[in-house]
Amino acid sequence: MKNNLNLIYIPAIVSAIAAFLLAFTFSSTKEKIEEAYRQEMLKALNIVLPKHNNKPDQEKVELEGKEVYIAKEDGSLVGFAIKSKSSKGYSGDIDILVGIDKSGKVSGVEILKHAETPGLGSKIETDSFKNSFKGLGKSDKIMVKKDGGIIDQFSGATISPRAVCEAVTEAVRFINDKVITNSKISGGGK
Amino acid sequence: MRFSPFIDGLWKNNGVFKQVLGTCPTLAVTTSVKNGLGMGLATTFVLICSNAVISMIKNIVPSKVRIPVFIVIIASFVTIVDLIMNAYLHDLHKVLGLFIPLIVVNCIILGRAESFASKNSVFSSILDGFGIGLGFTLALTILGSLREILGNGSIIGINIFGGSYSPAIVMILPPGAFIGLGFIMFMIAYFEKRKKN
Repeated sequence: MKNNLNLIYIPAIVSAIAAFLLAFTFSSTKEKIEEAYRQEMLKALNIVLPKHNNKPDQEKVELEGKEVYIAKEDGSLVGFAIKSKSSKGYSGDIDILVGIDKSGKVSGVEILKHAETPGLGSKIETDSFKNSFKGLGKSDKIMVKKDGGIIDQFSGATISPRAVCEAVTEAVRFINDKVITNSKISGGGK
Repeated sequence: MRFSPFIDGLWKNNGVFKQVLGTCPTLAVTTSVKNGLGMGLATTFVLICSNAVISMIKNIVPSKVRIPVFIVIIASFVTIVDLIMNAYLHDLHKVLGLFIPLIVVNCIILGRAESFASKNSVFSSILDGFGIGLGFTLALTILGSLREILGNGSIIGINIFGGSYSPAIVMILPPGAFIGLGFIMFMIAYFEKRKKN
């Protein structure tokens, strides 16, 4: 009888101790992890946005479920940044951050998360690829050359650049159609 | 010999090359030296902790429920490593993040808990965890360097061949992992057999 009870309370005690340790680790690393993600986001925002001196991650507005980060220089609006994603990558979603200046043209693109093939699709992380979007606007064909657009694909990897193009296009459309025309956000400002 | 569990673990019982265990992380993360090393060290940490704890409680855990108890212990340490790595080694975590939870199902760890830690003293279990863990790290680093050199033309991120070298991309793709591991195991078997004769 005693042995049978052992079968219950030994695993229970071990699990309880494990739960306690996990809770302790979680609560002591929580802030640090959030800070790391915030720094990462801030770094990406600084790369994609035009020159600004406010804190875009604190001045964001929500529009149709999307967060739009607003960049200002001395209080006047200079651009927006928005997260965009494509599920058409080679493996998993590609999350990107697109910066767009106040005239509606792309000021920068940064890849936040991807799981593309190292050495092939992962070249979407190179600066030369990311910079090829700079200055493009709503009327430009943001597509890979294979699809009749103006963005260079890589030899052996068309799918990943195509997915990034799709995500950038979506972001450019959204900002141009919904944000710039929205007087509450781009009008007078704060 | 007092330190023999460590030496045995490092080479004679090498998890990857000799027992062919833990091949999932071995094949999946070794696209570069850095990834292999990071994964190996994370696994080593989990292995040492789980071996130590399991050896401590080996006499009070009824054998009928030992596997679930071991898994709870291993999973807890893996989650702790995951959180700590995310907080303090954020960039490495971004690369390895997907594979860290997989340490739980690495047969090497449960294998050592079953075959070593549940039968030996705490001290030799820690040594065994250390040896097996470093052996695993060594294997991952060797495979990682082979694949990074051939497949990316670099080592630890530093380009070694200059611009004119066009890398054999297949080596950093999944087939390259199998080719690389097979080749290394062939070399080891070949030289050990020759030494014996």
